[in-house]
Amino acid sequence: MDLFTAIFTGTIIAATPLIFAALGELVVEKSGVLNLGIEGMMLVGAAVGVWVSYVGLPLPLAILCAAVAGALASLVFGVLALTFLTNQYAAGLALAIFGTGVSAYIGKGFGSTPIDALKPLVIPFLTDIPVLGPLLFNYDPLVYLSFILFGLISWFLYKTKAGLIVRTIGESPDAAHAIGYPVIKIRYLVVLFGGAMAGLGGAYLSIAYTPLWVENMTAGKGWISLALVVFAAWRPARVLFGAWLFGGMTILQLQGQALGLALPSEVLSSLPYIATIVVLVIISRNRQFLALNFPTSLAKPFRPAR
Amino acid sequence: MIKSTRRDFLKYSAAAGAALGTAGLSNLALADEVLKVGAVYVSPISEIGWTKQHSLGVDAIKAAMGNKVEVTTIDSIFKPQDAERVFREMASNGNKLIFGTSFSHGTPMQKVAPRFPKVAFEHCSGIRHMKNLGTFEAKYFEGTYVAGVAAGHMSKSAKIGFIGGFPIPDIVGPANALLLGAQSVNPDMTCSVIFLNSWFDPGKEKEAANTLISQGCDIICSMTDTATGVQVAGEKGAWSIGYASDMAKFGNGKHLTAFTLDWSSVYVSAAKAVAAGTWKTSERWQGLADGVVTMSPLNSALPADAVAQVTKAQKDIVAGTLHPFAGEIKDQAGKVRAAAGATLSTGDIRGINWFVNGVVGKLG
Repeated sequence: MDLFTAIFTGTIIAATPLIFAALGELVVEKSGVLNLGIEGMMLVGAAVGVWVSYVGLPLPLAILCAAVAGALASLVFGVLALTFLTNQYAAGLALAIFGTGVSAYIGKGFGSTPIDALKPLVIPFLTDIPVLGPLLFNYDPLVYLSFILFGLISWFLYKTKAGLIVRTIGESPDAAHAIGYPVIKIRYLVVLFGGAMAGLGGAYLSIAYTPLWVENMTAGKGWISLALVVFAAWRPARVLFGAWLFGGMTILQLQGQALGLALPSEVLSSLPYIATIVVLVIISRNRQFLALNFPTSLAKPFRPAR
Repeated sequence: MIKSTRRDFLKYSAAAGAALGTAGLSNLALADEVLKVGAVYVSPISEIGWTKQHSLGVDAIKAAMGNKVEVTTIDSIFKPQDAERVFREMASNGNKLIFGTSFSHGTPMQKVAPRFPKVAFEHCSGIRHMKNLGTFEAKYFEGTYVAGVAAGHMSKSAKIGFIGGFPIPDIVGPANALLLGAQSVNPDMTCSVIFLNSWFDPGKEKEAANTLISQGCDIICSMTDTATGVQVAGEKGAWSIGYASDMAKFGNGKHLTAFTLDWSSVYVSAAKAVAAGTWKTSERWQGLADGVVTMSPLNSALPADAVAQVTKAQKDIVAGTLHPFAGEIKDQAGKVRAAAGATLSTGDIRGINWFVNGVVGKLG
């Protein structure tokens, strides 16, 4: 494997868990709900994924269970924030902490035990193409799934009526309610979807990336996804770009360290954060663009008027 | 209905205090009583790694002293502010010997120890001593040197990849010794170093290991709290060197050896000394000779001459005839740090903040 291939594929893989979690959160925020608990949901997904495969069930089922577990975890937030109308920031933070604890509890029996990893998908002919094959067609199925989901989510949000309704609810839940849409119900569905996506992101880490469960293994990726959504100005394509940028800078700074670049490792380690923030802030300078994409009723509790 | 006034409260607490005081004194008087020992861990006790090895030390106390000892352990205490509360609670609950197992437990222990002069405190990887606060630490570099000899034999590309948690002397020293061990076999060996700036980030560790392998390193040694480095090396067909615990089962047959930590002698001797009333504060810095650092079984793929050389290096270090940091040692800039015939002093090793010649990497 030459250096370029290593950096390119490393970037795509490092970005995948962020893409899952951030795209899920993007849809949630588009509906006007702010769920800060991504880290917790990812951890629950990661732990459940390993657990299911540890007891001997096939990996696709483990991935599915991880998504369901992420969705169930998000329900904690949903009930607090949507039914009881608690402060969304507080409920989200509570979920982040709760998820960390619950995942540690779930993972008690099989911590640090390696499991069979999700293998890269070998596509006949395509994987064998020189140069392009190893670059584009040598990933595990979840990487392709993240691209498919990106396409589906972009299409759903901007090309379908249901997507328009979700966005409307994010702008003005009162208006959507007045014309007869069940705002709370739809927000519940969206929150569950966000949870499932975070669960998938977690499962990617624990099943495909480093195939074992260790407590707190997301190491802050949930928070990074959260930041990506904001810096990407709530546009799916920018989330994708931001995740690649972050993943790419992470890989590059490691390559730089290993090559003996004349910069202290502390500075290099902070590069991905600095670069991602700077670039995304620059491309989001257009205030009108931000105002157009920001969900106006974000994090505001909604109580249907009777 | 019970009415509670401030005066009552003061009265009761005074009475309780007096009762506690007498209880404390009577504890001291009875030498035959069960010894209460407490240990605070920095991370969860998983199947392998730093905290697991400390929990084995505690188990050794139980095995050695049976029903003469009662052990309390608390895990996942990293933040100093949490640790201080835990140490104070343990000391107030009658524990006579308390272990702190992380550098970050240092300041809280130094705060709590003077308030409980009758309690013995033992701090792993600590640097400051007190009348009732002793420290112990392992000579990791002896283990990496021996592992380096094996690496020097098995590396085809003559490139080692080293992943460290933080750029601190306890990591920089072992990285240097690993390369010096390898260079004792093949003087052309180099060692690329990556710091994660985290003890615990399996994702980043995997990326780091992949990076090192993509740059041609065919030996991976990772000094963090996970087995990810060993796992990735196994997947990619590179050799690996485990740390803290034997990580052979993660290595896909490519685990060369591991330098493991065995604290049981430290734990048991401290507990016995406290029980006998002979405990004194001390500073221990032990390695292969004391059995605190041990080498896990060598990979069977090593040829006989390599095995002989690795075993010899280990024996010579134990015998004291070989010192990993014996001169001549040059740093990255070519400056002589230890002249031929001399060795680095203890202080130099414990505070090492430079890389030896052949290391690829930069310290801030």
